[in-house]
Amino acid sequence: MAYITQYQYYENGGQQPENANWGSYQYVSLEDIVNNFMLMYSGNHSLVNNEERYKILFHAKRAIQELNYDAFKEIKILELNVCDTLRYVLPSDYVNWVRVSLYQNGLLKPLTENIQTNWSSAYLQDNDCRILFDIDGNALSPQNSTIDYERIRGGKQSIYLNQNSKMYGKSGYCVDGAWYFEYGIGARYGLNTETANANPTFKIDPKGGVINFSSGVANELIILEYVSDGMENGNDSLVTVNKLFEEYVYAAVEFAILNSKVGVQEYIIARAKKRKAALLRNAKIRISNIHPGRLLMNMRGRDKWIK
Amino acid sequence: MINSVRQTVMSVLNKNNYGYISPSDFNLFAKQAQLDLFENYFYQYNYQLQKENARQSGTGYADITKGIEEVINTFSETRFLQHQYQNRFFTPSESTTGDNYYLLNKVLIYSKLLASGTNDALQIQSLIDSTATFIASGVQVGDIVVNLSSNPPAVGYVSVVVSDTELTLVDYDGNPFDSFINPQMQYLIYSTKPVKEAEKVTNSKITMLNNSILTAPTLMFPAYSHQEPTITLLPDTINQLGAVQCQYIRFPRPPRWTYVTLPGGEPAFDQTAADYQDFELPKDDEVNLVNKILQYAGMSIREVSSVQFAQAQETANTTTER
Repeated sequence: MAYITQYQYYENGGQQPENANWGSYQYVSLEDIVNNFMLMYSGNHSLVNNEERYKILFHAKRAIQELNYDAFKEIKILELNVCDTLRYVLPSDYVNWVRVSLYQNGLLKPLTENIQTNWSSAYLQDNDCRILFDIDGNALSPQNSTIDYERIRGGKQSIYLNQNSKMYGKSGYCVDGAWYFEYGIGARYGLNTETANANPTFKIDPKGGVINFSSGVANELIILEYVSDGMENGNDSLVTVNKLFEEYVYAAVEFAILNSKVGVQEYIIARAKKRKAALLRNAKIRISNIHPGRLLMNMRGRDKWIK
Repeated sequence: MINSVRQTVMSVLNKNNYGYISPSDFNLFAKQAQLDLFENYFYQYNYQLQKENARQSGTGYADITKGIEEVINTFSETRFLQHQYQNRFFTPSESTTGDNYYLLNKVLIYSKLLASGTNDALQIQSLIDSTATFIASGVQVGDIVVNLSSNPPAVGYVSVVVSDTELTLVDYDGNPFDSFINPQMQYLIYSTKPVKEAEKVTNSKITMLNNSILTAPTLMFPAYSHQEPTITLLPDTINQLGAVQCQYIRFPRPPRWTYVTLPGGEPAFDQTAADYQDFELPKDDEVNLVNKILQYAGMSIREVSSVQFAQAQETANTTTER
């Protein structure tokens, strides 16, 4: 992409949206990457020769996807209101989650993932537990499984955590923010610390494309921090890479092609692999932005007493 | 050069009055010889590249590759491809671009349509549309103007943006472009930026490529497949004349040694004839042309010694040049 004027940068040349070019100088476009690679790393006198452009494009995109998964620190954030279904539909470009938080009373409360499942699919069964089928031979399913139904209507027990209450640590039912307890008989042994949290918990159903929450989230705002693959819903003109990773992408493409090409000597492949790994390390260190000014605040906390 | 070649060939063949080849035979052999040498340039080019990669080639005056590229470039043409239908365009040919192609080197795509409409006034070398807003639409000098109503449809360029409603036009070679000779002729104007290069994809891969999520052709990375006499562009929104330009290497034009017949029956060279055509290869190929034509002519008159002589000369020449 050609350099743009200050007017284009700050005000998008008078067009809308005004902020279209803000921060754009940090990035290099996918088109530039493919073009530069074809010019500089491919040709009669280069290691990569007689390769189709679509292969370069493919490997460049794959490299960008991999960078998006862990190396880039570019978290996307989406706020959605969760209704009575206690369900948050995953964003269209969702690949993996970083943090799920409840935004309540002006506070952001990070939620913990419940490693025990809180959702399930189900089939309809008759009295003999035989599965019921439709005329096409497909099993019939209810709208909600029992576990889903109980979770949504608040009928599923969880542990009440409030040290000031005599019910602290007891299993109860949270319905519309109010807690109900069964009369306990006998002693209580142990506490499942994995699920013991005053805040609601969640479990992600990746194939179903939703996050299922425990009760207490209905009509609340949930903020999902997640990573995408950087493919911008297939719009190649929007795909960009931070310039700190530009050289890495070239190295990754070169390695991917040499590694899959017949007749390339092993030492050349090893060299390309080493270069790729070294450039990734360098780029990660650079983007970590470790410098004294930034460390200062962390160092100040070293003598703080942990209560 | 053609007369010099013919004289040399005749001189070698005519020893002891053995042989004579007629002008029409000479023209046939000359065409054959030129094609042989023309095609050989591409193999030489490849050979020289291999030598470069083996570090056996020099730079400056020793840069043989550069010389070969220059010869090949004399056959390079850049033309807009005629539209067939939908996203198909005719490959270069005598009937569409005026030349048969040897290879398609590059297919360029112009996708930014700035303006379209019909002209409503006539003026030499101009496009006038009183309803147009050429300046506001961003039309600039150098932009591509297509006349869809001419037969065949023609393509020119903007040389001057006279006003919001009037443009002055030239053709590819900079000559006046007088295509809008009637009112109500339909036009399109494409911007020369952005221009993208379409990639050739084999017929065995193009369907899979088109189905691929990551690499399906887009206007940023267009592609084409080839099935004579057309190429099919992808994405299929590339579907109008003026959107596809091709840089290709054409075949050399068949040489023609033209003549007038003198009273004695002897043909005399006449380069003023309408169908006169000299060799298009560079002058340093004269020796090779003579050798090639001698081989064909020697075979024609059953003169083995002239064939052997020419072959020996050619081999010696090739060895020296390597």
